[in-house]
Amino acid sequence: MTRLVPAAVLLLGLPFALSDFWLFIAIEVLAFALYAVSFNVLLGYGGMLSFGHAAFFGVGGYAAAILLKRAGLPPMLAFALVPVVALVVSALVALLIGFFSVQRSGIYFAMLTFAFQMLLYTIALKATGITGGDDGMTGLKPPGVLGRPFYYYYYALAIVVPALYVLYRLVSSPFGFTLRALRANPRRVQYIGVNVRAHQLAAFVVSGAFAGLAGGLFALSTGNVFPGWLNWTASATPIVMAVLGGVHTFLGPAVGAAVYVVLEVLISGKTEYWPLAMGVIIVVLVLLMPEGLSGFRRKPA
Amino acid sequence: MNEPILRIEGLAKRFGGLEALGGVSLRVERGDFRAIIGPNGAGKSTFFNTLTGLLRPDAGRVIFEGTDVTGEPPHLLARRGVGRTFQITSVFHDLSALQNVQVSLLAHARRSWSVWPKATPLHVERARQMLDLVGLSASADRAAGALSHGDQKRLELAIALAGEPRLLLLDEPTAGMAAQERLESIRLVHRVARELGVSCVFTEHDMAVVFAVATHITVMHQGKVLAEGTPAEVRARREVQQVYLGAAA
Repeated sequence: MTRLVPAAVLLLGLPFALSDFWLFIAIEVLAFALYAVSFNVLLGYGGMLSFGHAAFFGVGGYAAAILLKRAGLPPMLAFALVPVVALVVSALVALLIGFFSVQRSGIYFAMLTFAFQMLLYTIALKATGITGGDDGMTGLKPPGVLGRPFYYYYYALAIVVPALYVLYRLVSSPFGFTLRALRANPRRVQYIGVNVRAHQLAAFVVSGAFAGLAGGLFALSTGNVFPGWLNWTASATPIVMAVLGGVHTFLGPAVGAAVYVVLEVLISGKTEYWPLAMGVIIVVLVLLMPEGLSGFRRKPA
Repeated sequence: MNEPILRIEGLAKRFGGLEALGGVSLRVERGDFRAIIGPNGAGKSTFFNTLTGLLRPDAGRVIFEGTDVTGEPPHLLARRGVGRTFQITSVFHDLSALQNVQVSLLAHARRSWSVWPKATPLHVERARQMLDLVGLSASADRAAGALSHGDQKRLELAIALAGEPRLLLLDEPTAGMAAQERLESIRLVHRVARELGVSCVFTEHDMAVVFAVATHITVMHQGKVLAEGTPAEVRARREVQQVYLGAAA
Protein backbone atom coordinates (compact mmCIF):
# COMPACT_ATOMS: atom_id res chain seq x y z
CA MET A 1 0.00 0.00 0.00
CA THR A 2 2.81 2.39 0.84
CA ARG A 3 4.07 2.12 -2.70
CA LEU A 4 0.69 3.15 -4.07
CA VAL A 5 0.87 6.70 -2.76
CA PRO A 6 4.07 7.76 -4.53
CA ALA A 7 2.87 6.00 -7.68
CA ALA A 8 -0.42 7.89 -7.54
CA VAL A 9 1.32 11.21 -6.92
CA LEU A 10 3.65 10.57 -9.84
CA LEU A 11 0.87 9.57 -12.24
CA LEU A 12 -1.44 12.40 -11.21
CA GLY A 13 1.29 15.04 -11.14
CA LEU A 14 2.85 14.17 -14.49
CA PRO A 15 0.81 16.68 -16.56
CA PHE A 16 2.16 19.52 -14.43
CA ALA A 17 5.75 18.47 -15.03
CA LEU A 18 5.74 17.47 -18.69
CA SER A 19 5.52 19.40 -21.93
CA ASP A 20 2.64 18.64 -24.29
CA PHE A 21 4.98 16.55 -26.40
CA TRP A 22 6.06 14.34 -23.50
CA LEU A 23 2.53 14.21 -22.22
CA PHE A 24 1.51 12.84 -25.58
CA ILE A 25 4.21 10.20 -25.13
CA ALA A 26 2.93 9.48 -21.60
CA ILE A 27 -0.53 8.77 -23.06
CA GLU A 28 1.08 6.41 -25.54
CA VAL A 29 2.83 4.68 -22.63
CA LEU A 30 -0.50 4.28 -20.81
CA ALA A 31 -2.18 2.75 -23.86
CA PHE A 32 0.70 0.39 -24.59
CA ALA A 33 1.04 -0.54 -20.93
CA LEU A 34 -2.56 -1.76 -20.98
CA TYR A 35 -1.94 -3.47 -24.32
CA ALA A 36 1.19 -5.27 -23.08
CA VAL A 37 -0.34 -6.32 -19.76
CA SER A 38 -3.48 -7.67 -21.44
CA PHE A 39 -1.29 -9.54 -23.92
CA ASN A 40 0.69 -11.00 -21.04
CA VAL A 41 -2.45 -12.42 -19.42
CA LEU A 42 -2.18 -14.92 -22.25
CA LEU A 43 1.60 -15.33 -22.44
CA GLY A 44 2.78 -14.99 -18.86
CA TYR A 45 -0.21 -16.53 -17.10
CA GLY A 46 -1.75 -18.81 -19.69
CA GLY A 47 1.41 -19.84 -21.53
CA MET A 48 -0.22 -18.97 -24.85
CA LEU A 49 1.91 -17.01 -27.31
CA SER A 50 -0.43 -15.04 -29.52
CA PHE A 51 1.31 -13.82 -32.64
CA GLY A 52 -1.68 -11.85 -33.80
CA HIS A 53 -2.52 -9.62 -30.92
CA ALA A 54 -2.32 -6.52 -33.07
CA ALA A 55 -5.66 -7.72 -34.43
CA PHE A 56 -7.37 -6.60 -31.23
CA PHE A 57 -5.44 -3.39 -30.73
CA GLY A 58 -6.18 -2.56 -34.37
CA VAL A 59 -9.84 -3.54 -34.20
CA GLY A 60 -10.22 -1.36 -31.09
CA GLY A 61 -8.62 1.53 -32.96
CA TYR A 62 -10.80 1.08 -36.04
CA ALA A 63 -13.91 0.63 -33.91
CA ALA A 64 -13.20 3.98 -32.27
CA ALA A 65 -12.50 5.66 -35.61
CA ILE A 66 -15.59 4.28 -37.32
CA LEU A 67 -17.76 5.25 -34.38
CA LEU A 68 -16.49 8.81 -34.49
CA LYS A 69 -16.42 9.28 -38.25
CA ARG A 70 -19.12 7.11 -39.73
CA ALA A 71 -21.78 6.38 -37.14
CA GLY A 72 -23.38 9.82 -37.45
CA LEU A 73 -23.70 10.23 -33.70
CA PRO A 74 -23.24 13.53 -31.85
CA PRO A 75 -19.47 13.86 -31.19
CA MET A 76 -19.83 13.82 -27.40
CA LEU A 77 -21.95 10.67 -27.43
CA ALA A 78 -19.71 8.93 -29.94
CA PHE A 79 -16.70 9.78 -27.83
CA ALA A 80 -18.33 8.54 -24.65
CA LEU A 81 -19.14 5.25 -26.32
CA VAL A 82 -15.59 4.62 -27.57
CA PRO A 83 -14.30 2.58 -24.59
CA VAL A 84 -17.40 0.41 -24.44
CA VAL A 85 -17.53 -0.18 -28.18
CA ALA A 86 -13.77 -0.83 -28.45
CA LEU A 87 -14.02 -3.32 -25.60
CA VAL A 88 -17.10 -5.11 -26.89
CA VAL A 89 -16.13 -5.25 -30.57
CA SER A 90 -12.64 -6.58 -29.78
CA ALA A 91 -14.14 -9.09 -27.37
CA LEU A 92 -16.41 -10.40 -30.12
CA VAL A 93 -13.55 -10.58 -32.62
CA ALA A 94 -11.46 -12.35 -29.97
CA LEU A 95 -14.27 -14.80 -29.37
CA LEU A 96 -14.31 -15.70 -33.05
CA ILE A 97 -10.52 -15.87 -33.50
CA GLY A 98 -10.03 -17.54 -30.14
CA PHE A 99 -12.64 -20.19 -30.78
CA PHE A 100 -10.56 -21.56 -33.63
CA SER A 101 -7.11 -20.75 -32.29
CA VAL A 102 -7.38 -22.50 -28.91
CA GLN A 103 -8.12 -25.77 -30.69
CA ARG A 104 -4.35 -25.93 -31.16
CA SER A 105 -1.45 -25.12 -28.90
CA GLY A 106 2.11 -23.88 -29.14
CA ILE A 107 3.35 -22.77 -32.54
CA TYR A 108 0.10 -23.82 -34.23
CA PHE A 109 -1.88 -21.59 -31.92
CA ALA A 110 0.52 -18.75 -32.74
CA MET A 111 0.13 -19.39 -36.48
CA LEU A 112 -3.66 -19.35 -36.28
CA THR A 113 -3.70 -16.02 -34.45
CA PHE A 114 -1.22 -14.73 -37.01
CA ALA A 115 -3.39 -15.83 -39.92
CA PHE A 116 -6.56 -14.26 -38.53
CA GLN A 117 -4.74 -11.01 -37.98
CA MET A 118 -3.54 -10.95 -41.60
CA LEU A 119 -7.14 -11.53 -42.64
CA LEU A 120 -8.19 -8.44 -40.72
CA TYR A 121 -5.25 -6.51 -42.16
CA THR A 122 -6.48 -7.34 -45.65
CA ILE A 123 -10.00 -6.26 -44.78
CA ALA A 124 -8.68 -2.95 -43.44
CA LEU A 125 -6.78 -2.45 -46.70
CA LYS A 126 -9.58 -3.43 -49.06
CA ALA A 127 -12.79 -2.23 -47.38
CA THR A 128 -11.94 1.29 -48.43
CA GLY A 129 -15.46 2.64 -47.93
CA ILE A 130 -15.39 1.88 -44.25
CA THR A 131 -11.74 1.83 -43.24
CA GLY A 132 -10.24 4.34 -45.65
CA GLY A 133 -8.07 1.58 -47.13
CA ASP A 134 -4.40 2.34 -47.48
CA ASP A 135 -4.83 5.89 -46.18
CA GLY A 136 -6.37 4.76 -42.93
CA MET A 137 -8.60 7.18 -41.03
CA THR A 138 -7.33 10.51 -39.83
CA GLY A 139 -8.54 13.59 -38.02
CA LEU A 140 -10.05 11.78 -35.07
CA LYS A 141 -10.37 14.18 -32.22
CA PRO A 142 -11.89 13.93 -28.77
CA PRO A 143 -14.46 16.72 -28.21
CA GLY A 144 -13.78 19.90 -26.25
CA VAL A 145 -10.85 20.24 -23.88
CA LEU A 146 -10.23 16.48 -24.06
CA GLY A 147 -8.52 17.20 -27.35
CA ARG A 148 -5.65 18.68 -25.35
CA PRO A 149 -3.03 16.26 -24.01
CA PHE A 150 -3.32 17.71 -20.49
CA TYR A 151 -6.92 16.56 -20.13
CA TYR A 152 -6.76 13.52 -22.38
CA TYR A 153 -3.96 12.21 -20.20
CA TYR A 154 -6.29 12.17 -17.16
CA TYR A 155 -9.00 10.60 -19.25
CA ALA A 156 -6.60 7.84 -20.35
CA LEU A 157 -5.43 7.38 -16.77
CA ALA A 158 -9.04 7.04 -15.60
CA ILE A 159 -9.49 4.19 -18.05
CA VAL A 160 -6.14 2.42 -17.89
CA VAL A 161 -5.77 2.23 -14.10
CA PRO A 162 -9.19 0.62 -13.46
CA ALA A 163 -8.65 -1.67 -16.44
CA LEU A 164 -5.31 -2.82 -15.03
CA TYR A 165 -6.96 -3.35 -11.66
CA VAL A 166 -9.62 -5.55 -13.23
CA LEU A 167 -6.91 -7.61 -14.97
CA TYR A 168 -4.97 -7.85 -11.72
CA ARG A 169 -8.00 -9.20 -9.88
CA LEU A 170 -8.57 -11.63 -12.71
CA VAL A 171 -5.08 -13.12 -12.63
CA SER A 172 -5.14 -13.34 -8.81
CA SER A 173 -8.55 -15.03 -8.76
CA PRO A 174 -9.32 -18.74 -8.93
CA PHE A 175 -9.72 -18.21 -12.67
CA GLY A 176 -6.18 -16.84 -12.92
CA PHE A 177 -4.83 -19.53 -10.63
CA THR A 178 -6.30 -22.18 -12.85
CA LEU A 179 -4.87 -20.39 -15.87
CA ARG A 180 -1.38 -20.64 -14.39
CA ALA A 181 -1.88 -24.32 -13.62
CA LEU A 182 -2.96 -24.73 -17.20
CA ARG A 183 0.22 -23.13 -18.48
CA ALA A 184 2.24 -25.60 -16.43
CA ASN A 185 0.27 -28.68 -17.35
CA PRO A 186 -2.90 -28.59 -19.47
CA ARG A 187 -3.43 -32.35 -19.34
CA ARG A 188 -3.34 -32.47 -15.56
CA VAL A 189 -5.86 -29.60 -15.44
CA GLN A 190 -8.32 -31.57 -17.57
CA TYR A 191 -8.30 -34.37 -15.04
CA ILE A 192 -9.22 -32.17 -12.13
CA GLY A 193 -12.40 -31.29 -13.99
CA VAL A 194 -11.51 -28.10 -15.87
CA ASN A 195 -12.60 -27.57 -19.46
CA VAL A 196 -9.23 -26.48 -20.80
CA ARG A 197 -10.34 -25.01 -24.12
CA ALA A 198 -13.16 -23.03 -22.56
CA HIS A 199 -10.76 -21.64 -19.98
CA GLN A 200 -8.22 -20.69 -22.63
CA LEU A 201 -10.92 -19.11 -24.77
CA ALA A 202 -12.16 -17.00 -21.87
CA ALA A 203 -8.63 -15.77 -21.19
CA PHE A 204 -8.22 -15.03 -24.90
CA VAL A 205 -11.41 -12.97 -25.02
CA VAL A 206 -10.48 -10.93 -21.94
CA SER A 207 -7.00 -10.35 -23.29
CA GLY A 208 -8.32 -9.31 -26.70
CA ALA A 209 -10.98 -7.04 -25.23
CA PHE A 210 -8.52 -5.05 -23.15
CA ALA A 211 -6.04 -4.87 -26.02
CA GLY A 212 -8.90 -3.38 -28.05
CA LEU A 213 -9.65 -0.86 -25.33
CA ALA A 214 -5.99 0.19 -25.46
CA GLY A 215 -6.23 0.53 -29.24
CA GLY A 216 -9.32 2.75 -29.02
CA LEU A 217 -7.63 4.93 -26.44
CA PHE A 218 -4.50 5.30 -28.53
CA ALA A 219 -6.41 6.04 -31.75
CA LEU A 220 -8.04 9.08 -30.18
CA SER A 221 -4.71 10.28 -28.85
CA THR A 222 -2.84 10.16 -32.15
CA GLY A 223 -5.96 11.03 -34.15
CA ASN A 224 -5.30 8.31 -36.73
CA VAL A 225 -5.60 4.63 -37.43
CA PHE A 226 -3.75 2.91 -40.24
CA PRO A 227 -3.86 -0.61 -41.69
CA GLY A 228 -0.30 -0.98 -40.41
CA TRP A 229 -1.78 -1.30 -36.93
CA LEU A 230 -3.07 -4.67 -38.05
CA ASN A 231 0.04 -5.79 -39.91
CA TRP A 232 1.97 -8.71 -38.51
CA THR A 233 4.98 -6.61 -37.55
CA ALA A 234 2.68 -4.75 -35.12
CA SER A 235 2.09 -8.02 -33.29
CA ALA A 236 5.73 -8.15 -32.29
CA THR A 237 5.37 -4.97 -30.23
CA PRO A 238 3.47 -6.42 -27.23
CA ILE A 239 5.71 -9.49 -27.29
CA VAL A 240 8.86 -7.37 -27.07
CA MET A 241 7.34 -5.14 -24.37
CA ALA A 242 6.25 -8.09 -22.26
CA VAL A 243 9.54 -9.94 -22.55
CA LEU A 244 11.53 -6.76 -21.99
CA GLY A 245 9.60 -5.92 -18.85
CA GLY A 246 9.25 -9.49 -17.59
CA VAL A 247 6.41 -11.91 -18.23
CA HIS A 248 6.41 -13.28 -14.69
CA THR A 249 5.22 -10.17 -12.92
CA PHE A 250 1.88 -8.50 -13.42
CA LEU A 251 3.19 -5.00 -14.14
CA GLY A 252 6.42 -6.13 -15.83
CA PRO A 253 4.97 -5.69 -19.33
CA ALA A 254 3.80 -2.16 -18.38
CA VAL A 255 7.38 -1.32 -17.40
CA GLY A 256 8.51 -2.86 -20.68
CA ALA A 257 6.00 -0.71 -22.57
CA ALA A 258 7.24 2.48 -20.90
CA VAL A 259 10.89 1.69 -21.61
CA TYR A 260 10.16 0.68 -25.19
CA VAL A 261 8.10 3.76 -26.03
CA VAL A 262 10.48 6.22 -24.41
CA LEU A 263 13.58 4.60 -25.95
CA GLU A 264 11.94 4.70 -29.35
CA VAL A 265 11.21 8.42 -29.00
CA LEU A 266 14.70 9.22 -27.75
CA ILE A 267 16.55 7.20 -30.34
CA SER A 268 14.37 7.89 -33.36
CA GLY A 269 14.97 11.60 -32.74
CA LYS A 270 18.73 11.05 -33.11
CA THR A 271 19.16 8.61 -35.95
CA GLU A 272 17.21 7.10 -38.80
CA TYR A 273 18.80 3.77 -37.88
CA TRP A 274 16.83 3.70 -34.65
CA PRO A 275 15.42 0.19 -35.18
CA LEU A 276 19.02 -1.05 -35.21
CA ALA A 277 19.79 0.72 -31.95
CA MET A 278 16.55 -0.58 -30.40
CA GLY A 279 17.44 -4.07 -31.48
CA VAL A 280 20.87 -3.89 -29.87
CA ILE A 281 19.47 -2.48 -26.62
CA ILE A 282 16.77 -5.15 -26.43
CA VAL A 283 19.26 -7.95 -27.09
CA VAL A 284 21.54 -6.66 -24.33
CA LEU A 285 18.68 -6.23 -21.84
CA VAL A 286 17.25 -9.68 -22.53
CA LEU A 287 20.67 -11.30 -22.20
CA LEU A 288 21.48 -9.48 -18.97
CA MET A 289 18.02 -9.87 -17.47
CA PRO A 290 16.31 -12.97 -18.82
CA GLU A 291 13.42 -12.46 -16.41
CA GLY A 292 12.93 -8.92 -17.72
CA LEU A 293 13.46 -5.52 -16.13
CA SER A 294 11.10 -6.40 -13.30
CA GLY A 295 12.66 -9.84 -12.97
CA PHE A 296 14.38 -9.25 -9.65
CA ARG A 297 11.00 -9.41 -8.00
CA ARG A 298 10.55 -13.01 -9.05
CA LYS A 299 7.35 -14.75 -10.00
CA PRO A 300 3.77 -13.60 -9.59
CA ALA A 301 2.49 -14.29 -6.10
CA MET B 1 -27.53 -52.40 -5.97
CA ASN B 2 -25.27 -54.88 -7.63
CA GLU B 3 -23.87 -52.39 -10.11
CA PRO B 4 -20.06 -52.32 -9.86
CA ILE B 5 -18.27 -49.00 -9.73
CA LEU B 6 -16.73 -49.64 -13.13
CA ARG B 7 -17.87 -51.97 -15.85
CA ILE B 8 -16.08 -52.21 -19.18
CA GLU B 9 -17.53 -54.16 -22.03
CA GLY B 10 -15.57 -55.20 -25.11
CA LEU B 11 -13.38 -52.12 -25.34
CA ALA B 12 -11.51 -52.12 -28.66
CA LYS B 13 -9.04 -49.76 -30.28
CA ARG B 14 -7.01 -50.07 -33.47
CA PHE B 15 -4.13 -47.93 -34.65
CA GLY B 16 -3.99 -48.54 -38.38
CA GLY B 17 -3.26 -52.25 -38.75
CA LEU B 18 -2.37 -52.71 -35.12
CA GLU B 19 -5.02 -54.02 -32.80
CA ALA B 20 -4.03 -52.35 -29.55
CA LEU B 21 -7.15 -53.43 -27.69
CA GLY B 22 -9.05 -56.47 -28.84
CA GLY B 23 -12.23 -56.30 -26.81
CA VAL B 24 -11.37 -55.90 -23.16
CA SER B 25 -14.04 -56.44 -20.52
CA LEU B 26 -13.57 -55.73 -16.87
CA ARG B 27 -15.58 -55.38 -13.67
CA VAL B 28 -14.32 -53.39 -10.72
CA GLU B 29 -16.32 -53.59 -7.51
CA ARG B 30 -16.44 -50.87 -4.89
CA GLY B 31 -13.41 -51.03 -2.62
CA ASP B 32 -11.33 -53.02 -5.10
CA PHE B 33 -7.66 -52.34 -5.51
CA ARG B 34 -7.22 -53.69 -8.97
CA ALA B 35 -3.88 -54.16 -10.69
CA ILE B 36 -3.53 -54.42 -14.44
CA ILE B 37 -0.34 -56.14 -15.43
CA GLY B 38 1.16 -57.34 -18.66
CA PRO B 39 4.37 -57.11 -20.67
CA ASN B 40 5.26 -53.97 -22.62
CA GLY B 41 2.94 -53.58 -25.56
CA ALA B 42 0.18 -55.57 -23.89
CA GLY B 43 -2.16 -52.59 -24.30
CA LYS B 44 -2.19 -51.28 -20.75
CA SER B 45 -1.55 -47.67 -21.69
CA THR B 46 -4.02 -47.70 -24.56
CA PHE B 47 -6.54 -49.25 -22.23
CA PHE B 48 -5.97 -46.50 -19.70
CA ASN B 49 -6.14 -43.72 -22.23
CA THR B 50 -9.29 -45.11 -23.81
CA LEU B 51 -10.86 -45.54 -20.43
CA THR B 52 -10.13 -41.96 -19.41
CA GLY B 53 -11.36 -40.15 -22.48
CA LEU B 54 -7.99 -39.35 -24.10
CA LEU B 55 -8.67 -41.83 -26.90
CA ARG B 56 -12.02 -42.70 -28.40
CA PRO B 57 -12.67 -46.44 -28.51
CA ASP B 58 -13.64 -48.10 -31.81
CA ALA B 59 -16.06 -50.35 -29.98
CA GLY B 60 -17.16 -51.20 -26.48
CA ARG B 61 -18.59 -49.37 -23.53
CA VAL B 62 -17.30 -47.84 -20.31
CA ILE B 63 -19.89 -47.73 -17.55
CA PHE B 64 -19.15 -45.81 -14.38
CA GLU B 65 -21.61 -46.30 -11.53
CA GLY B 66 -24.24 -47.47 -13.97
CA THR B 67 -23.84 -44.56 -16.39
CA ASP B 68 -22.41 -45.00 -19.86
CA VAL B 69 -19.44 -42.62 -20.03
CA THR B 70 -17.81 -44.00 -23.18
CA GLY B 71 -15.78 -41.32 -24.98
CA GLU B 72 -16.66 -38.62 -22.49
CA PRO B 73 -14.00 -35.88 -22.33
CA PRO B 74 -11.63 -35.95 -19.34
CA HIS B 75 -13.00 -32.91 -17.53
CA LEU B 76 -16.52 -34.36 -17.46
CA LEU B 77 -15.24 -37.74 -16.27
CA ALA B 78 -13.34 -35.97 -13.52
CA ARG B 79 -16.48 -34.12 -12.44
CA ARG B 80 -18.35 -37.43 -12.23
CA GLY B 81 -15.82 -38.75 -9.74
CA VAL B 82 -13.11 -40.44 -11.78
CA GLY B 83 -9.60 -39.28 -10.90
CA ARG B 84 -6.36 -40.24 -12.56
CA THR B 85 -2.62 -39.93 -12.24
CA PHE B 86 -0.04 -40.17 -14.99
CA GLN B 87 2.90 -42.41 -15.69
CA ILE B 88 5.04 -39.35 -16.26
CA THR B 89 4.52 -37.36 -13.10
CA SER B 90 2.15 -34.56 -13.75
CA VAL B 91 2.09 -31.61 -11.36
CA PHE B 92 2.07 -27.81 -11.75
CA HIS B 93 5.77 -27.10 -11.56
CA ASP B 94 5.91 -23.42 -10.81
CA LEU B 95 3.12 -23.41 -8.24
CA SER B 96 3.81 -24.35 -4.64
CA ALA B 97 2.74 -27.79 -3.43
CA LEU B 98 -0.08 -26.17 -1.49
CA GLN B 99 -1.25 -24.22 -4.54
CA ASN B 100 -1.18 -27.41 -6.61
CA VAL B 101 -3.79 -28.89 -4.32
CA GLN B 102 -5.71 -25.62 -4.10
CA VAL B 103 -6.18 -25.54 -7.87
CA SER B 104 -7.70 -28.99 -7.70
CA LEU B 105 -9.94 -28.08 -4.76
CA LEU B 106 -11.12 -24.97 -6.60
CA ALA B 107 -12.01 -27.06 -9.62
CA HIS B 108 -13.82 -29.57 -7.44
CA ALA B 109 -15.80 -26.76 -5.80
CA ARG B 110 -16.64 -25.50 -9.33
CA ARG B 111 -14.88 -22.22 -8.59
CA SER B 112 -12.37 -22.26 -11.44
CA TRP B 113 -14.41 -19.56 -13.15
CA SER B 114 -14.63 -17.28 -10.20
CA VAL B 115 -12.91 -14.06 -11.34
CA TRP B 116 -12.96 -11.64 -8.44
CA PRO B 117 -11.93 -13.11 -5.07
CA LYS B 118 -8.26 -13.66 -4.33
CA ALA B 119 -7.41 -17.33 -4.77
CA THR B 120 -4.55 -17.68 -2.29
CA PRO B 121 -6.62 -17.89 0.92
CA LEU B 122 -9.22 -20.26 -0.53
CA HIS B 123 -9.41 -23.88 0.61
CA VAL B 124 -6.07 -23.59 2.42
CA GLU B 125 -7.17 -25.71 5.37
CA ARG B 126 -8.37 -28.54 3.20
CA ALA B 127 -5.28 -28.32 1.01
CA ARG B 128 -3.07 -28.71 4.08
CA GLN B 129 -5.09 -31.73 5.15
CA MET B 130 -4.54 -33.33 1.76
CA LEU B 131 -0.80 -32.68 1.91
CA ASP B 132 -0.77 -34.12 5.40
CA LEU B 133 -2.52 -37.22 4.15
CA VAL B 134 0.27 -37.95 1.67
CA GLY B 135 3.01 -36.84 4.05
CA LEU B 136 3.98 -33.61 2.34
CA SER B 137 3.05 -31.04 5.01
CA ALA B 138 6.63 -29.95 5.42
CA SER B 139 6.95 -29.09 1.72
CA ALA B 140 3.70 -27.11 1.40
CA ASP B 141 5.35 -23.89 0.33
CA ARG B 142 8.02 -25.32 -1.92
CA ALA B 143 7.63 -25.12 -5.68
CA ALA B 144 6.30 -28.43 -6.98
CA GLY B 145 9.08 -28.57 -9.57
CA ALA B 146 11.70 -28.48 -6.82
CA LEU B 147 10.35 -31.59 -5.07
CA SER B 148 11.98 -34.99 -5.48
CA HIS B 149 10.45 -37.41 -7.96
CA GLY B 150 8.86 -39.44 -5.18
CA ASP B 151 7.40 -36.35 -3.55
CA GLN B 152 6.00 -35.19 -6.88
CA LYS B 153 4.23 -38.53 -7.16
CA ARG B 154 2.78 -37.99 -3.69
CA LEU B 155 1.72 -34.50 -4.67
CA GLU B 156 0.03 -35.79 -7.77
CA LEU B 157 -1.86 -38.22 -5.60
CA ALA B 158 -2.98 -35.35 -3.38
CA ILE B 159 -4.10 -33.37 -6.46
CA ALA B 160 -6.11 -36.32 -7.72
CA LEU B 161 -7.65 -37.07 -4.32
CA ALA B 162 -8.57 -33.43 -3.70
CA GLY B 163 -11.31 -33.92 -6.28
CA GLU B 164 -12.87 -36.57 -4.01
CA PRO B 165 -12.99 -39.23 -6.72
CA ARG B 166 -14.80 -42.47 -6.02
CA LEU B 167 -12.63 -44.21 -8.58
CA LEU B 168 -8.95 -43.47 -9.01
CA LEU B 169 -7.00 -44.67 -12.03
CA LEU B 170 -3.24 -44.74 -11.57
CA ASP B 171 -0.98 -45.27 -14.56
CA GLU B 172 2.21 -46.87 -13.25
CA PRO B 173 2.21 -45.08 -9.91
CA THR B 174 5.68 -46.36 -9.08
CA ALA B 175 7.37 -45.64 -12.41
CA GLY B 176 10.92 -44.39 -12.11
CA MET B 177 11.39 -45.38 -8.49
CA ALA B 178 13.88 -47.63 -6.73
CA ALA B 179 12.54 -50.99 -5.55
CA GLN B 180 12.15 -50.08 -1.88
CA GLU B 181 10.58 -46.72 -2.69
CA ARG B 182 8.05 -48.47 -4.91
CA LEU B 183 6.66 -50.56 -2.10
CA GLU B 184 6.41 -47.58 0.20
CA SER B 185 4.73 -45.58 -2.51
CA ILE B 186 2.07 -48.14 -3.40
CA ARG B 187 1.38 -48.78 0.28
CA LEU B 188 0.75 -45.07 0.70
CA VAL B 189 -1.73 -45.12 -2.18
CA HIS B 190 -3.34 -48.20 -0.74
CA ARG B 191 -3.64 -46.79 2.78
CA VAL B 192 -5.01 -43.43 1.64
CA ALA B 193 -7.47 -45.01 -0.78
CA ARG B 194 -8.76 -47.26 2.02
CA GLU B 195 -9.06 -44.31 4.34
CA LEU B 196 -11.05 -42.27 1.84
CA GLY B 197 -13.04 -45.19 0.48
CA VAL B 198 -11.70 -44.77 -3.07
CA SER B 199 -11.68 -47.74 -5.43
CA CYS B 200 -8.48 -47.99 -7.47
CA VAL B 201 -7.28 -49.41 -10.74
CA PHE B 202 -3.55 -49.25 -11.40
CA THR B 203 -1.09 -50.53 -13.96
CA GLU B 204 2.21 -51.87 -12.73
CA HIS B 205 5.34 -53.69 -13.85
CA ASP B 206 6.76 -54.73 -10.54
CA MET B 207 5.26 -58.00 -9.29
CA ALA B 208 6.35 -57.38 -5.72
CA VAL B 209 4.33 -54.17 -5.76
CA VAL B 210 1.30 -55.85 -7.29
CA PHE B 211 1.19 -58.77 -4.90
CA ALA B 212 1.74 -56.50 -1.92
CA VAL B 213 -1.52 -54.60 -2.28
CA ALA B 214 -3.79 -55.74 -5.11
CA THR B 215 -7.14 -57.30 -4.25
CA HIS B 216 -7.62 -58.37 -7.86
CA ILE B 217 -5.31 -58.70 -10.83
CA THR B 218 -6.04 -58.51 -14.52
CA VAL B 219 -3.35 -59.83 -16.81
CA MET B 220 -3.28 -58.33 -20.29
CA HIS B 221 -1.49 -59.79 -23.26
CA GLN B 222 -1.58 -58.56 -26.85
CA GLY B 223 -4.55 -56.33 -26.26
CA LYS B 224 -6.68 -58.93 -24.55
CA VAL B 225 -7.40 -60.10 -21.04
CA LEU B 226 -5.39 -63.25 -20.51
CA ALA B 227 -6.36 -64.00 -16.95
CA GLU B 228 -8.13 -62.46 -14.06
CA GLY B 229 -8.69 -63.13 -10.38
CA THR B 230 -7.31 -62.75 -6.91
CA PRO B 231 -3.52 -62.66 -6.58
CA ALA B 232 -3.47 -66.31 -5.53
CA GLU B 233 -5.61 -67.38 -8.48
CA VAL B 234 -3.55 -65.44 -10.98
CA ARG B 235 -0.30 -66.75 -9.60
CA ALA B 236 -1.54 -70.29 -10.10
CA ARG B 237 -2.45 -69.88 -13.76
CA ARG B 238 0.05 -71.59 -16.04
CA GLU B 239 -0.43 -69.33 -19.09
CA VAL B 240 0.22 -66.30 -16.93
CA GLN B 241 3.45 -67.79 -15.73
CA GLN B 242 4.45 -68.44 -19.31
CA VAL B 243 3.85 -64.96 -20.74
CA TYR B 244 4.62 -62.80 -17.83
CA LEU B 245 5.67 -64.27 -14.55
CA GLY B 246 7.98 -66.64 -16.35
CA ALA B 247 11.17 -64.94 -15.34
CA ALA B 248 10.06 -64.45 -11.77
CA ALA B 249 8.51 -67.86 -11.17
